[in-house]
Amino acid sequence: MFTTYSLRRKWSFSLLAIFLSLVLALVGCGNQEAEGNEDADQTENNQEAENNQEDETNEEEQAAETENVRTIEHAMGTTEIDGTPERIVTLYQGANDAAIALGVTPVGIVESWIEQPVYKYLRDELSEVPIVGLETQPNLEEIAKLNPDLIIASKLRHEEVYDQLSQIAPTVSHETVFKYKETVELMGSAMNIEDKADEVLSAWDERVTDLSGKLEEKLGDQWPLNVSVLNFREDHARIYNTGFAGSILDELGFTRPENQQIDDAVTMLNDKESITEMNADVFYIFMDDSEAVQQTYEEWTNHPLWADLDAVKADQVYQVDLATWNMAGGILAANLMLDDIYDRFDLEK
Amino acid sequence: MTKFISVRSKSGSISCQLNKKTLYIFTILFLFSLLIFVISLSVGSSHIHPLAVIKHLFGYGSGEYDFTINTLRLPRVLLAFLVGSALGVSGLILQGIVRNPLASPDIIGITGGASVGAVIFIVYFVGAISIKLMPLAALLGATIVSIIVYSLSWKKGVTPIRLVLIGIGVAAAANAIVTMFIVLSDTFATTRAYLWLTGSLYGANLQDVLSMLPWVLIFIPVSLLFSRTMDVKELGDDVALGLGVNVQLQRLLLLFISVSLAGAAVAFAGGIGFVGLIAPHIARMLAGRSFAGLVPTSALIGGIIVMVADIVARTAFLPLDIPAGVFTSGIGAPFFIYLLYRNRNM
Repeated sequence: MFTTYSLRRKWSFSLLAIFLSLVLALVGCGNQEAEGNEDADQTENNQEAENNQEDETNEEEQAAETENVRTIEHAMGTTEIDGTPERIVTLYQGANDAAIALGVTPVGIVESWIEQPVYKYLRDELSEVPIVGLETQPNLEEIAKLNPDLIIASKLRHEEVYDQLSQIAPTVSHETVFKYKETVELMGSAMNIEDKADEVLSAWDERVTDLSGKLEEKLGDQWPLNVSVLNFREDHARIYNTGFAGSILDELGFTRPENQQIDDAVTMLNDKESITEMNADVFYIFMDDSEAVQQTYEEWTNHPLWADLDAVKADQVYQVDLATWNMAGGILAANLMLDDIYDRFDLEK
Repeated sequence: MTKFISVRSKSGSISCQLNKKTLYIFTILFLFSLLIFVISLSVGSSHIHPLAVIKHLFGYGSGEYDFTINTLRLPRVLLAFLVGSALGVSGLILQGIVRNPLASPDIIGITGGASVGAVIFIVYFVGAISIKLMPLAALLGATIVSIIVYSLSWKKGVTPIRLVLIGIGVAAAANAIVTMFIVLSDTFATTRAYLWLTGSLYGANLQDVLSMLPWVLIFIPVSLLFSRTMDVKELGDDVALGLGVNVQLQRLLLLFISVSLAGAAVAFAGGIGFVGLIAPHIARMLAGRSFAGLVPTSALIGGIIVMVADIVARTAFLPLDIPAGVFTSGIGAPFFIYLLYRNRNM
């Protein structure tokens, strides 16, 4: 009995030891993996340096080199891209959109969040393009089958499959998914059409200047308007403080009520008594068209506090398109947002 | 010819009895899981003939499937099997410890703890440090919560019923914390957290398989060493105590094994639900009640369930790749209701 007992005790210690060593192995793997990546990057850089040295000795070769192989820095490291990629797979909504803006039809795209499989505003261009799955879990086999020569991904969504994606084709990764301008820049340089990207972005800047000038002219003393971006859900309402639509409204010169000038992307309102938090000169509201959401909207807008809000009193409450104002996050969607604002203020484009 | 085979170590401290029928069942299940394994490798966006798969596996392939099989499908299938078998055995041990057929790693808080770890990682660390450390965060969460459950259940020893009740309470608290983080964080973290909570084998790579493998290879055989006490414990604490089993120590060690297995599985595949509940039940239906027979059977059945769930997840809605957890819950939830119904008079 005693021997058995001490045996058992030894047992508990050895089990604990095994557990701890396996945990350590796990930590080790994670770190090793990370170091491994850095090493790979470094060797790439070294190679590049060597290449450069070689290039110096042979100028003709240098010309050929810079023409063909470009090194793109992005959120997941650096990637070398040879020539001008033609078969591009885009793995987030903003990239699907930006490809079209840049005049390139991708060979594979991810399914849209709403209006599946493709947002209505992109259907003309993208309805024939194969879907490679969801933005959160794009189907790697489908992507491989399309035989792409460039993949546009987002670190936010595809960090864990970056290595596998890179084995399929050179992959460049944006940090997030909603920075529509950076997406255009990244894709422009990755696809070797930087001129086109610059063109798209300067056209954007011109439109913003034009629209904000016209808004100021029309509204005079009232400008800048305080704006709230609102969203109704099945059981609560939200104020979008930052994000895609918010950043565009900021750029146009709209201001935010003081309580919304915070870093939190979203303020959740769970109680109708916090309706006053929404107060602003103008409301842009996007929401799902499901019945439950409509009902929430009815309930909130029929609340006595709603009628007291500045925007409601001034009749400046607008329902806007959920896809272009919030879900798409691309440069074309952003332009459609501008169109929308031109129209709502009766301004000439 | 006897119906049972006895295996005994010299001192007799480790011994077990196997029903001969169990061996047949085990062989059949083993062959069946090999079959599923080959099918798993052959179906997907592009179908590869099973014979070609076998040729490839034995190194006689032409190399045309190197990427599809070696990089994309094989790690995923292997991880599915390992995760499933770990969950199966973990559930089996738990059900034995608490002598309640409704126990599973989801119910006593192991999965909940792992979820808290993973969600905190997703909200605060994704982007800042490598996502490859996420399994560690999940495992840490599972360990901490298990320690909390065990210490709260301790009152001059741990009784199964207190373990279950405290476990359920702590699991509820863990879920509340998860919900809180999901509500407070932005939509990107929310999307990712939901995906993790559903459980998915998407993007599994060889590294994951190699990190998961030792957990299964060490803890499942170790659990077999407890066969004798597990069988005696079926009779209740008092009888086991009378027969010379150090009930408390054994319970702690077994719980430890169970947590390690479930924690590791959840760490790599997220909150894949119900496998730890169903696999031991199916095993008992097929292989009787001897713990030594139930361990390998539960492991195989768990592995088969997750492999099949992942095949469905990968292929049913092509080109979409759906989280496998959707399908384990799809089978598991009705099965759970059936168990409740069957045990309604207990």
